Amino acid sequence: MGASVGTGDKKSVNVELNIVPFIDLMSCLTAFLLVTAVWVNIAQINIQPKGKTRDTTNVQQDDEHVTLSVLVQADRIWVGLSRINQFQEIPKKGDQQDWERFENTLKENKASAFFADRTDIEVAAESTTQSPVEYQDIIHAMDVAVKVGFVDVGLTDPNGLAARPSL
Amino acid sequence: MPVHAAGSRLYRSVPFKHLVKKAGSATGGSRATNIALNLTPFVDMMTILVTFLLMVFSSSGQLLQAQKGLELPMADSHDTLQQAPVIIVTKTEITYQGQLVATVDSVLRDDSPTFKIDALFERLDAAAKKIKEDVGMGKLPKNLAKACEDAKQNIRPQPGAICPDGLAILQADESTDARLINKIVNTAKAAGFDNLLFAVKNK
Repeated sequence: MGASVGTGDKKSVNVELNIVPFIDLMSCLTAFLLVTAVWVNIAQINIQPKGKTRDTTNVQQDDEHVTLSVLVQADRIWVGLSRINQFQEIPKKGDQQDWERFENTLKENKASAFFADRTDIEVAAESTTQSPVEYQDIIHAMDVAVKVGFVDVGLTDPNGLAARPSL
Repeated sequence: MPVHAAGSRLYRSVPFKHLVKKAGSATGGSRATNIALNLTPFVDMMTILVTFLLMVFSSSGQLLQAQKGLELPMADSHDTLQQAPVIIVTKTEITYQGQLVATVDSVLRDDSPTFKIDALFERLDAAAKKIKEDVGMGKLPKNLAKACEDAKQNIRPQPGAICPDGLAILQADESTDARLINKIVNTAKAAGFDNLLFAVKNK
């Protein structure tokens, strides 16, 4: 930026800064940033499709480990442990799933001896025409699981869960 | 072309005399014709705008296309997305890489025992073979090639640097029926996409 001191008059002490290049640079930068701005921050949840599907006949069951299974239904969430067949039912609270209780349940399981050093969990959603389950609920369940520490989320068909409540 | 004597100038009749007078009176001289424009608020505004835009600037750019009638689900996850084939599920249709594959209604009505979407399977299968070929020939950036090596040894990949072999993005509307998601996941798995990234919106 150029600067001119005075205008020839000895008494003048005004300094004039040439701000034209500065304004040029600002204008270009503003235009570029406005064009390239991304207003919605998009992230990802990484999942592995797993378990039994109607397509596959053999199920990869691990008999040595207890698996933590989550079944999301329209009006409740089931958290189950395979091998010991222990299930915990979390009914809906108002018009939303009880995510707080679900998170606490997962935290309790994570603190248990079975899952202290494990990060895997399987999630399934049972949806029907009469009582549909929305994608948002699956994402919420997986998000809570990742937050608690089960970062290896496997999404499966309800029939493919290692621990499935029999109603 | 003949040269004429200079005549009256265009817009000379527009009276800017009040500005000239004002500018002149500010400096005391009656003949001064410079009009000083105060640029300070303009520069202030520009500075604030540039600072804000630099703060929200994302170097990773936008990997996903905005779709009409598609509202992504919200999540706390902050893992960054990476380039991969995109399956888009809106309220009415399923598209793969921008091409219509099936409508939501037709897939939900279909109770076939295969439990997968055939049209989507064909496209995903072809894409999976091509990606596998590219990975095999080493046509990958260094970090992704390393991720593929790590994947063989069951080492957890870093978010944003997952081996592209078997990786796809699912961009679905938050109100999509879970049956549809199950079908798409099964279809992707059958085609060899064992790693799905669910696109979500940050809370």
